[in-house]
Amino acid sequence: MSTSELVFWFLAGVTALSAVGVVFQKDVTRMALSLGAFLLSVAGWFLFFAQAFLAVAQVFVYVGGVLVLVIFAIMLLHRGEGGSTGLESRHSIDAAMVALGLFFIVGMTFVDVAPTLTAVPGQMGSEAVGAQLLSGMLVHFEAIAVLLLAALTAVMAISGGDRS
Amino acid sequence: MTFIGLALGVFCIGLYGVLVRRDTVAVLASVEVMLGAATVMLVGLSATSTLPAGGADPSVTGAVGLVIIVLAAAEASIGLALLLAVSRRMKTARLDEMQEVNG
Repeated sequence: MSTSELVFWFLAGVTALSAVGVVFQKDVTRMALSLGAFLLSVAGWFLFFAQAFLAVAQVFVYVGGVLVLVIFAIMLLHRGEGGSTGLESRHSIDAAMVALGLFFIVGMTFVDVAPTLTAVPGQMGSEAVGAQLLSGMLVHFEAIAVLLLAALTAVMAISGGDRS
Repeated sequence: MTFIGLALGVFCIGLYGVLVRRDTVAVLASVEVMLGAATVMLVGLSATSTLPAGGADPSVTGAVGLVIIVLAAAEASIGLALLLAVSRRMKTARLDEMQEVNG
């Protein structure tokens, strides 16, 4: 087994296990830790696909930002409950059928595509991404900047509370 | 490359979590799992695509991935703010206890 395959299966194991942890973990704090492991493994996948810049952005934005937000939400919402939340089993069979059905339906469309995929060797640094963002994707770049501003304003408006 | 199957499987695990979880933060975490799987799928397909021109431009992959990451961050922040506002109004963080539509 080559090093690339070893890394692939290691990443696959960490990703799958941490995703299962997020969904099935009853304790919300452990769920947040599983989410952190999952987000880090996604950064690992970006590195695996030679997208170093994306991996760094993933760690900064998700692990450094979103995960902290999730932990803040847990601290604000689960005061005095012991941090434990149950999995309701009332709809679990229906939900499993929906998830498995989607897996097989979408999976069947990829069966013919997957063998033709081969890795494209290419290193990508922040310089190339920056050039791309400010040339071909300038409109997208400006649009997400406006969207982020709108999101910030919305978050302040929503969570600011009722002062009237 | 079998990363497609893995990303699809993780996406479906997240979907199961969204449908089954009753805690609002856990539902949002499951949505994050779905988003992460979709991003891995997109970046992976872009990095391994066999287009006639010799594959996708890696910098386009990076820029598109960055846009998705930022969009997901905005989604997560607004989602958590909504959770806080709703749970403050409804006095609960569990979805099955939020039964009033016009509260």
